[in-house]
Amino acid sequence: MTSLALAQILLNGLALGAAYALIALGFVIVINAVGAVNFAQGELVMAGGFAAIAIAPLVGDAAGLPGLLLLPLVMLLMGGLGVGFAHLAYFPLRKRPRVAVFVSTIAIGLVLQHLANAVFGAAPRVGPPLIAGDGPVVGGLTLSLQQLGVLGSAALLVSATGLFLGRTQTGRRMRAVAQDPEMAAAIGIRPARMITLSFALAVALAGAAGLLLSNQFFVSPNDGGLFMLKAYIAVTIGGWGRLDGAVLGALLIGLFETLVAAFTSYLVAEALLYGVLLAMLAFRPSGLLPERARTRV
Amino acid sequence: MSDRRSLLLLVGGAALTVYAVAFAGSYGHDVLTRAGIYAIAAIGYQLVFGRLGALSLAQGCFFGLGAYAAALTALDLGFGFPFTVIAGTALPVLLAALIAIPVLRLASHYFALATLGIAQLTLLAAINWTEVTGGANGLFGIPQISIAGLQIGFGLPLTAFVWTCVAVSLWISHRLTAGRRSLAVETLRAAPSAAAALGIDGAAIRFRFFLASAGFGGFAGALQAHAVGVVSPDVLSFHILVLLLAMTVIGGRDSPLGAVLGALLLVHLPEWFRDFADYYLVAYGAALLGAIIFLPNGLAGLLPERRTPRSEAKLPAPHPRRDAALSVEHVTKHFGGVAALDDVSISVAPGEIVGLIGPNGSGKTTLVNLISGIEKPGSGRIHFGNEDLTGRSPERIARTGIVRTFQHPQIAPGLTLGDSLEAVGPCDTEALLARVGLGERAGDLAGSLPPAAQKRLEIARALATGASLLALDEPAAGMNDIERADLAQLLKALAAEGHAILLVDHAMDFLLPLADRVVCLSAGRIVAEGTPKEIVQDPRAIRAYFGESPL
Amino acid sequence: MFLKKTAIALAAILAAAGAARAETVPVLVPITGFLSLEGTSQRNGAVMAIDKLGAAEGLETEVTDTGTTPEGAVTALRRALAGEPSAAISSMLGTQMLAMIPIADRAGVPLLTVSGTAKITELGSANVFRFFPGDSVVKVAQARYAVEKLGAKRPALLYQTTAYGQSGAAHLKKILSGLGAPLVFEEAVDISVKDMLPVLTRMQAADPDILLLHLHSGSTALVIRQARESGNMLPVVAGSAMHQPTTAALLEASQLKGVCAESASSPISEAAGPVADFTAEYRERFGIEPDAFALAQYDGAAMLVAAKAAGAKSAAEVRDWLAANSFDGLAMTYKSDGTGNMAHDAVVVCYDGKSRVPAIASRYENVDGSN
Repeated sequence: MTSLALAQILLNGLALGAAYALIALGFVIVINAVGAVNFAQGELVMAGGFAAIAIAPLVGDAAGLPGLLLLPLVMLLMGGLGVGFAHLAYFPLRKRPRVAVFVSTIAIGLVLQHLANAVFGAAPRVGPPLIAGDGPVVGGLTLSLQQLGVLGSAALLVSATGLFLGRTQTGRRMRAVAQDPEMAAAIGIRPARMITLSFALAVALAGAAGLLLSNQFFVSPNDGGLFMLKAYIAVTIGGWGRLDGAVLGALLIGLFETLVAAFTSYLVAEALLYGVLLAMLAFRPSGLLPERARTRV
Repeated sequence: MSDRRSLLLLVGGAALTVYAVAFAGSYGHDVLTRAGIYAIAAIGYQLVFGRLGALSLAQGCFFGLGAYAAALTALDLGFGFPFTVIAGTALPVLLAALIAIPVLRLASHYFALATLGIAQLTLLAAINWTEVTGGANGLFGIPQISIAGLQIGFGLPLTAFVWTCVAVSLWISHRLTAGRRSLAVETLRAAPSAAAALGIDGAAIRFRFFLASAGFGGFAGALQAHAVGVVSPDVLSFHILVLLLAMTVIGGRDSPLGAVLGALLLVHLPEWFRDFADYYLVAYGAALLGAIIFLPNGLAGLLPERRTPRSEAKLPAPHPRRDAALSVEHVTKHFGGVAALDDVSISVAPGEIVGLIGPNGSGKTTLVNLISGIEKPGSGRIHFGNEDLTGRSPERIARTGIVRTFQHPQIAPGLTLGDSLEAVGPCDTEALLARVGLGERAGDLAGSLPPAAQKRLEIARALATGASLLALDEPAAGMNDIERADLAQLLKALAAEGHAILLVDHAMDFLLPLADRVVCLSAGRIVAEGTPKEIVQDPRAIRAYFGESPL
Repeated sequence: MFLKKTAIALAAILAAAGAARAETVPVLVPITGFLSLEGTSQRNGAVMAIDKLGAAEGLETEVTDTGTTPEGAVTALRRALAGEPSAAISSMLGTQMLAMIPIADRAGVPLLTVSGTAKITELGSANVFRFFPGDSVVKVAQARYAVEKLGAKRPALLYQTTAYGQSGAAHLKKILSGLGAPLVFEEAVDISVKDMLPVLTRMQAADPDILLLHLHSGSTALVIRQARESGNMLPVVAGSAMHQPTTAALLEASQLKGVCAESASSPISEAAGPVADFTAEYRERFGIEPDAFALAQYDGAAMLVAAKAAGAKSAAEVRDWLAANSFDGLAMTYKSDGTGNMAHDAVVVCYDGKSRVPAIASRYENVDGSN
């Protein structure tokens, strides 16, 4: 394999990992906010892809705007969906054991998957490109503008999310609620509002990932399960409840899959991913980075 | 069992039988058979997920493995029915036994991920090991079930057979969790560290339940192979697990009966919605969401309460109290290079109350953790009488007679006070509760108690084990003056009976009048030791303790 | 007297009602899950044929989703059998057919399918009728086109890890060896794989002169797109998924240059004639483009209607008629080879790089897969 081909493969793995990172980030935000796994995260990614396809003709194509401008629109739309999601999947169950939320998110995932199948049809669809056209050639390596757009958008969104949660008043409040809802309520933060915001953010990130993936990798109603699995693994190896760990875990998975597949086969790559995972759990049973989430029942 | 619950179940069971015999056609029987098969797998999942609270993602894998084992033994080895199902049950149990030791020690989501990894690897093998598994096409032509030459045909006979298996599975599950065992298991789920400290052998229970869940899953899979006649990698896919998870939660996760009801509902729901055409699975998802929102305790919660079964079985008497002294010799404990305890020695004799004081982070709780076995010392020994406890598991230490309580009470909120005590051993619950000032409340739920009362419940629970030495971590925290005085009385009386008591507390006015001796820790070292009188005058103790947080 | 008149009148009414009562043809196909695209085509084709041609015979359809599990198909079939149908349109997923066949045999009800899985007609069941050429036909067309027309000597193959993929790959390997052009590279690709660059890069090292695909729609499009984007202009002969208009829609017309695909037919490629009429009507009714699966199932259902019109009433009569007669469908002439294989023709379609509508490049008639 030439080094050029290798570089191209690495770039692909990185782009895939970057999109996984957005999914995992949304996943971990919900874990931190309410302590529950959101089994619908994969379907929300798929929904983001279809949302982009649905609104692209209304916005981008008509006005001749690049798909990149769709990103904030899709995120806004999905954020709104996230508010509804919180009120359906979480708030009616907030006083119940967390496993109830597992099932409510499973149910919503089913609804989204089959709604997409019924409304958009079973065929895979191609999403709007972020930026059309060929990109620059760097040392013989053709960088497609689309891929650069995906990488750039993902990097921007990951850092913006980190800054928002770490540096802004609202972000700090969200984290305070995540750490100790009662204490937060006692100092005048309204936990319900912060939890709603967490869901909105998580779903918006999933939607963004959906748009970023939809052009290069298409979108079909049955894609959800795959993304959910990848996010779950990323979050666990990165240290349950850590934002940085989720991003790191996702990038590692993206690179690992692509690189191992490039040198062996897809079968080996997948088997080895789970094999390494089991070995890691056997020798380092608490993830790559120490976990930071509060303990829960 | 002549209460309303049993009556309702009897009527429900009879109605189902009448439906199956008189009204259901071939299609109705098919759906009922599927529901029964999933019910068995869900009964297994209920043990590990509902009872133990462990999110195993391998139940679908056990199910599929059972199906493949039954299919392969039937097709390749020509096994007849009972042997195919035995193989289908045995293979997943074997796998579970192999993975149990590394996997069961993992905490919640890491356990989930490990079981997921194993399930995915099994799925990959089924798809790609084509010579054996037939690849994605799978295996077909698996014969129908026949017993002693008598074929169990599709339709009513198969339905009746499967539901007989459901009844047997319910009975086995009931045997595994009956009476006092269920209380111990509930304590293990809701308060795992307390369970260990009370001598409940969590590892053994987890191992048994994990293997049982694999057995039920495999058994169900084997039935599925015979009922459908085809096994494809689909039986190993993630959606089977998701279905079983939903069945268990919708059914009501603390009840195997709930798992059966959940299976009945979830298998029938999409069939009822067939008329919605393209949208029928959307309707199914919405109904699932409705069920989880509007049935807080699951389908089983709709049934009238079960009368608390009083265990009648003769249980072994508690260990007689031992007149042994605890001696901790030169123990050291490091956490990532920081010494939490440095060369600490301490002893507690029968009938003695030893107070352990020190500022926050001085190592008091770490010392209690070492004594109770939750953490292992880096060096040094711990003896109880002439038994060496160093490095032993919490369960074994508890069974020698050392029982601790926790700074933050570790209780099973869903158990009544009486059941909380019964969970650890046969005892006179009324008398013990009365001793700690909780008489008359034996029927209340532990979760309904205020924190201070939960601490007293912990003491009663420790006494129920027949403990010789009590290590109490801040038992008076949050109590008012009257309650403290009562607690002091109780501790004195216990010491007078010969209990050894190690008392960790911040409140000097509570601890000093009570203790025979006081040990003062600071930054992991003993800085002062002596009678309460000597301690209050010891400048090192004053500096270590009062200097930092003056009373 | 009055009583007798009333009785006669009643009997007449009942008889009329009985004659007018429609017979329901169950359509048991996967409209959810990973095969929902193909299953939807199957449904549309069957429903269109029964609505259009079957109404005169008092036929109507009832669609039941089988999902993708064998048990889902079994349940759907048992549900349908409650209505005592004389035939059923059934899933194109091989494992589902394998689960349904024993039940259909016991009930004596013929199953009309477009499943390509070879095994379903090898079990000796008298109730299986396959209206899409099986792997032993279309894979011959694919391999022969690659070797004989395109002169391939060093073919590489990517196939899906599904029942469809594994079964087709086994046929292709055998046929290619027979043609003296054994595979120089092969790999199984899971349906969830998105990034095809790793396998395309590895394949290059084997220096193939043609790329054969046997993948479902999404994966087919991903491979072709990523190959073309990375500058790989190798000729491609794909499986029937490529001929589906929804697959071509995922690609730029220019990326389709040098791409061919096997299929039973290509409804959108015909400019005039009965197939073009079918295409127009299908487009009108469902708002999407028809593919060969839709057309094959349309033909299958049309042959069922023909059996009914010829007087076959019971399931046994329908089965016997289907087994004994030949039927001129829109795509081809169907006739059982004695094991239920009705379709023996295949086409290879190719794209010119300017349009997403392929042209038929080669026809393979009466292919005998056993060679």
